[in-house]
Amino acid sequence: MKCFAFHLMPWDRLPADFGDKYESAWTWLPNSLYDPKHGHTLYNRFLDELVLADELGFDGVCVNEHHQNAYGTMPSPNLMGSILARQTKRCKIAVIGNALPLYNPPTRVAEEFAMIDVISGGRLIAGLVVGGGPEYYSFSMNPTHARAMYNEALELVIRAWTEPGPFEHYGEFWKLKYVNPWPRPLQQPHPPIWIPGAGSKETIEFVAAKRFAYMGIPYFHVDFFQRNFDMFRDACQKNGYEADPEQLGWLCPIYVAETDEQAWAEYEHHFMYFAHQLLKGLVVLPPGYTSPRSLVGIHSAMKQFLINVKTRKEVEDGAYAIVGSPATVRDKLSHYAKKLGVGNLLGLFQIGTLPADLTKKNLTIFAQEVMPALQKLNVRIQAPAAV
Amino acid sequence: MPSSRFINVAGKKTQLTEGGSGPPLLYLHSAGGETEWMPFHEELAKHFTVLLPAHPGFADSKGLEEIRDVTDYAWHYVDMLAELKLKSVPVVGFSLGGWTGMELAILRPDLVSKLVLVNSAGVRLAESKMGELFIDDLAKLRALLFKDVNNPVIKLAMPEGLEDPRILLWLRAREASARVGWNPYLHNPRLAAHLHRIQCPTKILWGRHDQLIPLPHGEFLASKIPGATLEVFENAAHMLPFEEPAKFAASVTSFVGA
Repeated sequence: MKCFAFHLMPWDRLPADFGDKYESAWTWLPNSLYDPKHGHTLYNRFLDELVLADELGFDGVCVNEHHQNAYGTMPSPNLMGSILARQTKRCKIAVIGNALPLYNPPTRVAEEFAMIDVISGGRLIAGLVVGGGPEYYSFSMNPTHARAMYNEALELVIRAWTEPGPFEHYGEFWKLKYVNPWPRPLQQPHPPIWIPGAGSKETIEFVAAKRFAYMGIPYFHVDFFQRNFDMFRDACQKNGYEADPEQLGWLCPIYVAETDEQAWAEYEHHFMYFAHQLLKGLVVLPPGYTSPRSLVGIHSAMKQFLINVKTRKEVEDGAYAIVGSPATVRDKLSHYAKKLGVGNLLGLFQIGTLPADLTKKNLTIFAQEVMPALQKLNVRIQAPAAV
Repeated sequence: MPSSRFINVAGKKTQLTEGGSGPPLLYLHSAGGETEWMPFHEELAKHFTVLLPAHPGFADSKGLEEIRDVTDYAWHYVDMLAELKLKSVPVVGFSLGGWTGMELAILRPDLVSKLVLVNSAGVRLAESKMGELFIDDLAKLRALLFKDVNNPVIKLAMPEGLEDPRILLWLRAREASARVGWNPYLHNPRLAAHLHRIQCPTKILWGRHDQLIPLPHGEFLASKIPGATLEVFENAAHMLPFEEPAKFAASVTSFVGA
């Protein structure tokens, strides 16, 4: 299994009355609460944490895109990806991802991703995403066009990477007479493509058919990942091939300390700040963003979502986070990774208000005492014998 | 008793409910999707044959993928009236339906004999902000749309929660409304410049307490549509036909002149 360090770059200084005063950490949270001086410290600290992950031997680092919120202050993950392309030396740089409908025209994604790939010497993993529900409020983008725009943009980006230009693109949403992006990506035919999903059958079948990789949207009960990953393996079989574990990614908050007790004592309140403050307003599903039937399904899955989890026991039972001593974390992650058959572990090692010293300690102990065993782990689920 | 059927409108399967007797009256529903027979439809049906179609994407009407904006809805009604061989009918439009009615009267003046606009969407006033319709929180929506959040009629107008059997119908209505009303938000930036082309007698009804589309919008429409008159309902908010069904029907009937 490959181990990645995922960073959300969250805002860690919400006012004490945030919980009572604001209903959401997204879209409408006044940006007067953002302090640029502290932001300077945070951005540089967070980048240092990802550079450290590279030095510690992680297989990759991950950044992602969100707008107008305190949960993740990375409206442009490509800026972060390009810094990391220079400052890291060997790890993969997974940008998961660019919300395609928000790029106009979406050939910008083909260009910027190719730049990161070329600068980094072919270390980019290209996440191509629809964007979260809140982004459609923040950008006033019509959510009923989200899927159709995404499909058109995805096809266009891949064509732009693989088909000699210039060529014409006449789609429903974009009409481009000359598609001919410079540079082209270093990895051929194109960088690996990762696509996240919240369990919709349509997305799973699409990713399986294209032989891309499927990342489970985080913060759900581990049973929810199991169901979706099983569905993905079935979908691959229907397309005539066995899923490679590297086609699956599991995003999970992780905290390691000297002992189980110490880990929980150091971590719990930072984690709960994240769960109950920063997640507030993340799951917003604007009309038409997904089908009415899927909307109802997601609403019922919310019972298994972290924001509704209150106790340490619930966190442990649902594997909403893996917390403990090196032995505990190693055992639990090995167990779940094999059970899920997942070849990419995307760990969130900094979360919410977790400070720099604890984040560094977490990354370091994980890399030294947990990761070597995980990287050797064979997580392939043996296919049932043909009947 | 009202009855429902499906008609083919230029290839779009369209749900059409009809009830009552007398001259025809076309009722264009709001974003809330009141496509079931409601008490105020029944009031109107005492004087008119009420035609209650579901816009494409609402209820069991198909063809939303062909719809990009409210002007497309108006063209759909150009086609529907041709299909029904109707001309010069009175049109009552509530909110999204009022917006559609105005666009229809501009596109094909001969199809609309009289126009009643009820808390109508369609124009934006910089000095009077509209409320946010596209929120998931049903309690907040109730407070946005009704004067009295304990009004028992709310049960008729919207689902009470996710377990409500009407939830899929409601979510489809939300999707269709977002399709035409997300951005530009609940208006057509070009519509104001066309309002002087509305030739038919026009009456505008507005709830004093409307927070979704506040009263200045009604005053603006009354000032721009030639000869239009405005009647303010003191005890209603946005959901005026639900909140004051008898008074609403009486206003429509006296204006249209059954």
